[in-house]
Amino acid sequence: MRPKALALGCAALAAAVVLSGCGSGTASGGKTKLTIGLFGNFGYAELFKEYMAAHPDVEISDRTASYSDHHKNLAAHLATSSGNADIEAVDTGYINQFKATPDKFVDFNTKGGEQLKDRWLPWKWEGSLSKDGKQIGYGTDVGGLAICYRRDLLQNAGLPADRDQVAALWPTWKDFMAAGKKFQEKAPEGVKWFDGGPSVLNAIVGQTPVGYYDKSDKIIVGENKDIKDGWDLVVDGVNSGLSSKLLYSTPVWNTGFKQGQFATVTCPAWQMAKIKDQAGPEAAGKWDVTSVPGGGGNWGGSYLTVPKSGKNIDKAVELAAWLTAPEQQAKVFKSAGLLPSTPKLYEDPAIVDYKNPYFNDAPIGKLFTDAAKKLNPQYQGPKAGDIQTAIGSAMQRVEQGKQNGEESWNQFVADVQK
Amino acid sequence: MTAVLERPAPVRPTGPTARARRLARRVAGPWTYAALVAVLAGSAFPVYWSFVVSSQTPDAIDTVPPVLVPGGNLFANIARVFDTTDFWLALMNSMVVSGTVTLSVVLFSTLAGFAFAKLKFRGRNLLLLLIIGTQAIPTELGIIPLYMMMAEFGWAGEIHAVIVPGLVTAFGVFFMRQYFERAIPDELLEAGRMDGCHSLRLFWHIALPAARPAAAVLGLFTFMQAWNDFFWPLVVLTPENPTVQTALSTLASGYTTDYTLVLTAATIGTVPVLAVFLLFGRQIVGGIMSGAVKG
Amino acid sequence: MAVIDKTTRRHRWDTRFAPYGYVAPYFLIFGVFGLFPLLYTVWVSLQQRNLIDADAARFVWFANYAQLLADPYFWNAMGNTLSLWLLTTVPQILLALWIAQLLNRKVRTRTLFRMGVILPNITSVAAVTIIFAQLFGRDFGLINWSLGLFGAGQIDWQAGTASSHIAIAVMVVWRWSGYHALIFLASMQAIPSSLYEAATLDGANGRQQFWRITVPLLRPQIIFSTIIATTGNMRLLAEPLLFNPGAAAATGGSDRQFQTAALYLYEQGFTKYEFGYSSAIAVVLAIATVIVAGLGYFVTKRIRTE
Repeated sequence: MRPKALALGCAALAAAVVLSGCGSGTASGGKTKLTIGLFGNFGYAELFKEYMAAHPDVEISDRTASYSDHHKNLAAHLATSSGNADIEAVDTGYINQFKATPDKFVDFNTKGGEQLKDRWLPWKWEGSLSKDGKQIGYGTDVGGLAICYRRDLLQNAGLPADRDQVAALWPTWKDFMAAGKKFQEKAPEGVKWFDGGPSVLNAIVGQTPVGYYDKSDKIIVGENKDIKDGWDLVVDGVNSGLSSKLLYSTPVWNTGFKQGQFATVTCPAWQMAKIKDQAGPEAAGKWDVTSVPGGGGNWGGSYLTVPKSGKNIDKAVELAAWLTAPEQQAKVFKSAGLLPSTPKLYEDPAIVDYKNPYFNDAPIGKLFTDAAKKLNPQYQGPKAGDIQTAIGSAMQRVEQGKQNGEESWNQFVADVQK
Repeated sequence: MTAVLERPAPVRPTGPTARARRLARRVAGPWTYAALVAVLAGSAFPVYWSFVVSSQTPDAIDTVPPVLVPGGNLFANIARVFDTTDFWLALMNSMVVSGTVTLSVVLFSTLAGFAFAKLKFRGRNLLLLLIIGTQAIPTELGIIPLYMMMAEFGWAGEIHAVIVPGLVTAFGVFFMRQYFERAIPDELLEAGRMDGCHSLRLFWHIALPAARPAAAVLGLFTFMQAWNDFFWPLVVLTPENPTVQTALSTLASGYTTDYTLVLTAATIGTVPVLAVFLLFGRQIVGGIMSGAVKG
Repeated sequence: MAVIDKTTRRHRWDTRFAPYGYVAPYFLIFGVFGLFPLLYTVWVSLQQRNLIDADAARFVWFANYAQLLADPYFWNAMGNTLSLWLLTTVPQILLALWIAQLLNRKVRTRTLFRMGVILPNITSVAAVTIIFAQLFGRDFGLINWSLGLFGAGQIDWQAGTASSHIAIAVMVVWRWSGYHALIFLASMQAIPSSLYEAATLDGANGRQQFWRITVPLLRPQIIFSTIIATTGNMRLLAEPLLFNPGAAAATGGSDRQFQTAALYLYEQGFTKYEFGYSSAIAVVLAIATVIVAGLGYFVTKRIRTE
């Protein structure tokens, strides 16, 4: 009787194993199935349809996770050579970490990447080039900076709403904070000048010539006066009550857009897609875009990589190259606002003259291509993404009243140098 | 079995003993009911609220004052969930995982629990101590080597990786052992042995029928636990081949954090366990009671 | 005679070896997928090992442990773990006793109430934490809104140490009290009513009877529940992780104010990929859990019939 019972159990097990045994790699009908792992909105949905229409033998499926989950999972999957998508996106903050193990990725230079090199801004190309000269990623976008603001809120507080006049309010971040104090005097209850200290600080850090690392991968943020000055400025803004104290890319921050809890938000190009999705159609025309205090800078931007453990490497490389080609980047710019990393487009009238209807017809083409041209590429060290998260937590400690600016800064510096 | 559990209808004798009896098993007064209703409301509220949100438009979640009555958007939201993610696959995966794990845990726990409670063998106490000891160890402890193993087997990303480590639990063995200890008198087994019964027969004819209520309870809890398991599936599965819980976390951490969508998915994901619970809950409650009564 | 001999032999074989057959499936599967990873964790904890660069792994003896004992964030996490253990386990057991006692009375629609109390237990931690995080929201949360009706200010639940611990404890207690209540109820019903009758004749009131008869007789179940609750609550991970979504979720708040030891293990192991260090945390956490469970065992064991 026991063997019978066991056999029953085993049969159920076997059935489960068969049921779950869905092999990946080839989809039904002999198509090659390509998976692509993303975080946030890359604006690729239409491009996938277009590519599949042109390549009937390819089926693309994408999976999107949050920024931190995506990179965390990617690292684990690479280390165990399993569970990777055929194409994996990697953010600027993490590319240095991944290019330290270039053998986990396909070297695009061996797949004709060298010939495509001139597509990209030189620093973008170098960003994903490993120390031994292997190219692990094709650049997607760069995070040129601007400021998005609520026209109606500024107007109600007696500030100008016109984007040139608004830009004139804040040539520097100091002026930005001063304007904020003026705004706050007349702002309605529950509405603040900016979303949260961390996102303002990220923009300021993105503009400094040297960031968290020096070129020898040494963490020097503790001695970086530019960043410390920015920190002090933002802390002053927080202490003056200008911050909604909402951390970017969190559910409460999303709600903040919907509820109109803040008047301005730092806008790397990719942020525009987020604002549009979160504030929703009812906020169309309320938001506008203007230039950022302090000149050009970069926050974010990504690469597409092809892990070596994939089953369809050649087709994946082909798709990655196609997705990052100037023509496709132009489409993504128009649909999702992601700023191309291919300089050819910065002179293209179709891009330069583009205006975004959602943002009150802001001339984002001109705005962001100008920003891109002014952009001083900053060297990103291996753990820039983690340090950015840590400085965000540090600013939150100040916002939550747990520590003063100095204490929190010192703890942050000690944390990242461990 | 439930018939046995029904207590005799209350009679109303008089005298001090009767008063004492009434005090001992007091008939619930209005305060008891009020307290129980409050407990019930507290238990149900978050689930109810999640249902309310999933039947409303996305604005409802951050409206002041909060929305507390269901709206008419449930089906639209459900449709949105299935459009946004492959939630069928998640449901199917969770079903296969939980079903297999439940079957296996109940079977193996009953077998081992019986042996530990009613059979004598060398090293029994030591092995039992080992089982109790392993219960105290966080499963998260072995997660790193376990992940390496699954990758080695090529199971990372496949649901076998979630099923196999769950096939037995220390809790199940311990739980069944505790039950057998009290539920079956040793004399009964001794009598069986005298008749020359093989221990397997004893198990099949005496232990197993007696174990049914406890096995049902164990089955329910195992099913729920497997269904709700979060950390290990999150680590070993990819968003491409998710369980309900990892699909939830993908939805929640996805780029547009639309909580109406997340809570709608949470509501859908709760329906299967809720159905199992409503169908068998009465037997489970009865099973717990009968085990205790017999003990 | 020969027949009897055969039967005896079979019988002896049966009593001697069959039990091992019954427990074998458990130990086989547990050995491969439970015990081996656990032991291997100890091995990994003696190495300097990062997932990303596994080739650079090297054996460092107890360096990870030395580092751990000097790591203020580890002690912070252990402190939070113990605080949350107390804040979850004690109310959970007391609330369960209270609910069980309510359910032990003659109640109409008792099945409804009994099923009602285990409803929280069937919901998923992921879903529930997402729901509670929303309820505990700073600006639009239902709880702050309700408190506002009584004139209380808006609490930033995630920001404070005490407030975040309370919020997480509420989730855990909500989820598990009913489960333990049913375990207690089962045994309460088995207490012979003659005991209460005698006590009543001696003039003991309901409260005295509860503490002097019911609770002592429930001792085995209270021990069982305390151990189960302890092992669960010492490894809280999903709640603190999902309570504060965002890139820094694994640190458990801006100042690690609600980072549990399990979450610190997760942070080191799955965001920094330091498998060696993370494994050392796992080993220490396991030892701590056994100690705390033992503590719970001895405290509950002291419950005596007076």
